This record gives sequence, C-alpha cells and structure tokens, in this order.
Amino acid sequence: MTGRSVALVGGATTMFGVRATTWSEMAQEVGAALFRAVPELRTEDVDSLFVGAAEPERFAFQSHVAPLAAEQMGLRPHRVIQRTELACASGQSAIRSAYAAIASGISDIAVAVGVEKMNLPSMAEANTSMGCVMDRPWDGPHGATAPPFFAMVAQRHMLEYGTTPEAMAAVSEKNHRFANSNPHAQFYAKKFPKEKLLGLPVVAPPLRLGDCSSMTDGAAAVVLAAEEFVPRYSTTPAWIRGTGQYSDFHNLANAGSLTDWAGLTRASREALGRAKIGIGDVDFAEIHDCFSISEIVEYEALGLCERGEGGAFAQDGRGDLGGDLVVNPRGGLLGCGHPLGATGIAQAVEVYQQFAGGVPAVRQVPDPEWALVHNLSGSANVHSVMVYQGGRES
Amino acid sequence: MSAEVKPRRAAPGAGREAGPATSGAPPAADAKPKEKPPFLLDFFPLEGPDQTRLARFYDRLREGRLSTTRCPHDGERHWPPRTACPKCHSEELEWFDLPESGTIYAFSAVLGGAPLGLEDGVPFAVGLVDLDGDVLRLFGRIEGRPWTALHIGDRVRVEPFDLADGRVFYRFRTVD
Repeated sequence: MTGRSVALVGGATTMFGVRATTWSEMAQEVGAALFRAVPELRTEDVDSLFVGAAEPERFAFQSHVAPLAAEQMGLRPHRVIQRTELACASGQSAIRSAYAAIASGISDIAVAVGVEKMNLPSMAEANTSMGCVMDRPWDGPHGATAPPFFAMVAQRHMLEYGTTPEAMAAVSEKNHRFANSNPHAQFYAKKFPKEKLLGLPVVAPPLRLGDCSSMTDGAAAVVLAAEEFVPRYSTTPAWIRGTGQYSDFHNLANAGSLTDWAGLTRASREALGRAKIGIGDVDFAEIHDCFSISEIVEYEALGLCERGEGGAFAQDGRGDLGGDLVVNPRGGLLGCGHPLGATGIAQAVEVYQQFAGGVPAVRQVPDPEWALVHNLSGSANVHSVMVYQGGRES
Repeated sequence: MSAEVKPRRAAPGAGREAGPATSGAPPAADAKPKEKPPFLLDFFPLEGPDQTRLARFYDRLREGRLSTTRCPHDGERHWPPRTACPKCHSEELEWFDLPESGTIYAFSAVLGGAPLGLEDGVPFAVGLVDLDGDVLRLFGRIEGRPWTALHIGDRVRVEPFDLADGRVFYRFRTVD
C-alpha cells in the first residue's frame, strides 16, 4: 500500500426501518449520533465530507445533497466535499473516496456519511426509483427491478447446482437472528425461524418475502483519520488495508453467467492482495445479502467454498458463529434493511464495533483481526470490497 | 404512458440490411422539435430523430424488425445498439436484424410492486431469452402464458408493439 495509513476511528447509525422522518432530519440525527460516539471529534477537525446517497433525486426530490448533509451535520468542509453514487454501494464508495483522499494527503480527517429515505406514501415511487438503477431505456420498460433479476440468479443456481429454498432460508434465518441482537435493525424485534420464512408469500418466484431485503430509511456515518491523528480519537481503530472493485457489464444482455460472479472474485482478490492476506485469514465478513441467494453466490465467488457449494455452506452453518468465519453478524441487509446509501457505512460501523469488542455477546466475533466488507450494486454488475485490520498500532 | 398496444407482426420477408448506424447528416432546419406540454420521463425511451441517434432502431421495430448494430471492422455485435464500437471505438457501425425467436434461459415474474407506468398486466413474467443462433441473450417481458406455466427451454418469439403515444417497443410471446 502506498500513501499514509488510514483508519476508521468511530461511527454511528440511526435506527433503520420505516421512519417518520425526512432525508435531512436523518442527516441531523446521524450527525448527532456520530459526535456522541466519537467524543474527541470537533466539527472543525473534519476537513472533508463524502456523502453516499443513491437516489435522493427520486426519493427526496433533492440534488446537491453534499452541502445539504454538511449543513445538517454542522460541518464546513474545506478540502473535499462531494456525493458518491454507486446505487447499493454508494456508502462504501464514500468510505473508499475518503480513504483515497486521506492516503494521498489531500485530507487528514474526513467523515463518510450515507443517508437514504426510501419509504414514501406511495410504494410505487420507491419501485420506480429502483427501476432506474437498471439500464432504464432498454431493460427498464420490461419491468426490470432487483427482485426479478436476483430471482433468475436463484432459478439458475437451483437448476445448475440443486440449491434449495431451504438453503436460502438458512441464510435468511441466520441474518435475521443476528439482527435480533441489533437494536438499530429494521427487524430487531421480529423472529424469522426457517419454517416461517418458507411459508412467506412469493415476491418474485422463486424468492419469498424473507429472501428479499427491504425498502428502508436510515443513515450511518464513520470518521476516517490519517495515522498521525488516529490516537486522538480511538484506541481501537479499524485500519483500511485493501480495497478492490470490478465492473463488467450494465445491460442484462451482457451479464453472462448469472451464477458465477467473477467480478466479486476479482475485486476480493485485489483487496485481499493489497492487504497481503488470503480469504482464509478473514475472521468475519459483512457481505451484500440484498437477497438470500446473493450471499450463497458470494460464498462461492469469495472462495469460501467451491462453486455450487454455497447452499451447503449456508445449511452447514459455516458462515455462523462457530463456523469457518462469521458472515453478516450485524444482521445483514436482510435483517437490518437496506437504505441504499447507508448500508455500506453501517457495515463499516459494525466492523469498527466488532474490533472494539463493543457488540452484544450473541454476535461478538471472538478476538477478530481481519474483516472483509462487500457491496454489490445494480444487477451484481459492480462489486466493491474493502479489507480492515483491527488491534494494531498503525 | 400506457403500454397498450397492438402487437405488430414481423414484416414478411424483412431482410437484413447493412448501412451506417447514423446518417451523420445535420438535422434539417425545419426539424426543430415542436413545443409540447410538460411531461414526466417514463421508462420508455425517447425515440425520435431529434432525441436519439438510434432512431433507426425504432423505425425498424415499427417495420416488425428487432435489430441492433455491429462493427464492420472487428465484427463485434452490440446490445443495446450503439453509436461507437466499445472494442475499436469506430463510429461507423452497421445494422443487422436479430433472430425472431429464441429459448427461455431464465425467468421470474413481477407479482406486485411494479414501477409507475408498468403496472398494466401485473402479474407478468420477465426473462432472459437466448435468441436463435447464439447471437444474444436478451431480457424482456414474456406474454402469452402465466409465469406458473413457463419453463426454462420454452420457445418464444419477438413481438414489437405500439405504445398509445406513438412510440414502439418489443417483448416476447410464447410459441405454442
């Protein structure tokens, strides 16, 4: 890695769910939570702000959200201020951009915040926004949104490898169970045993309601600092050791195999290679379970198991506490909900808190050193990966 | 905005045609777009020659021909149709007709929660279709049978259709 070392020195999230609040109010709420969570941080310390927001133009009828978020949070950035948009990976993009700015010396201390307001009086508004993520004039008029696309992934995985609804329910049960220990999660108070999941209504065949993440309002924020400033704010920093991304298509005609997410394989190899570790060194991972089938395909693309064995990996509990590594201890997108721009940042907050030993015991990974975070975006046509290390000086 | 619709039959004997993807000619002085009342963009594209350099795609679709571009220099076939080759970046592309039928590779259905303007016909099936001859795997709405009666491997044909406002688009229909 060239450039300065950079670490997360703290973070916070709002409640995720169907919220009676606006985009701007959530930016204020997460700002207040962030400054409570990082007591040594003063507003004037923050020289740069990166705002992950996928579709504020449609969900909140608002562009130019970076200065809006700055004003809501009480910040006056003087080095870099910008929005990052990469659909479902907009939040991780904000962190990656902040990291790049600090590593290069442009910024010393930056905030990455993600905000998304998705629930409106008409759910058709939200569904319309989700349709715009696809190749709108070519795939959009056919009714392409995320559920039917990932349903086709599931259908092909079932055909090619014999994956079952029970395997998908095993993913969903695990992540909902972890969410029961996370008071910020959309489904904190709801139990989803496997039998219940297998009886929920079909949303996009073969996917049932419990296989799909939700339309969610929420915000999350982290503080990143250059190595020389880290001790001022945190004794348990989460060091960024590697990043990787890969984008290989946009129109659905150019997807190739639906079940081999080669872009994730490439992005994770890039990130792990920069961190000089292998996937076997990772103690826990926050990966993009927008649908239960996504997590199964991701086990395979990350190299946690062979192609076709993702369903068995889930059913054998190899991604659970006590397994090969812990996958989605925060509760995942399935359990926490998926406010597009906030998700990647909430995953990073979980990484920070896991390294700090600050999560409830039922989801605390024992003495973790390495964490991997993954977001896909759109129709799994972009994969974004970051690798973090805890428990080290710099 | 409504997608209703009269199906277009493929023009009999519609042949393959080579020619530049764009004319390159400047628009005529009288081609200035007429003023229209305010409207919201919807999921369907703006298809006219004053809006897109690919207007020929829609003209050919009106003739019952689903077509796309290819690069005469490196043979690269494109979807969606393009104005510049992504491989060699040549801007001199040619049109060719796509096969009129194919086989379902994967499918699902929209059972609810359709975007605005696409609610007609919910529930409806969508799928990826391998066009005959291994030319292209194309995504589209599938009409003709409920999703519960569809199978991977089922045969479908391409069906151009008219929108109420004069635009045109395409979908698939099952072949019995």
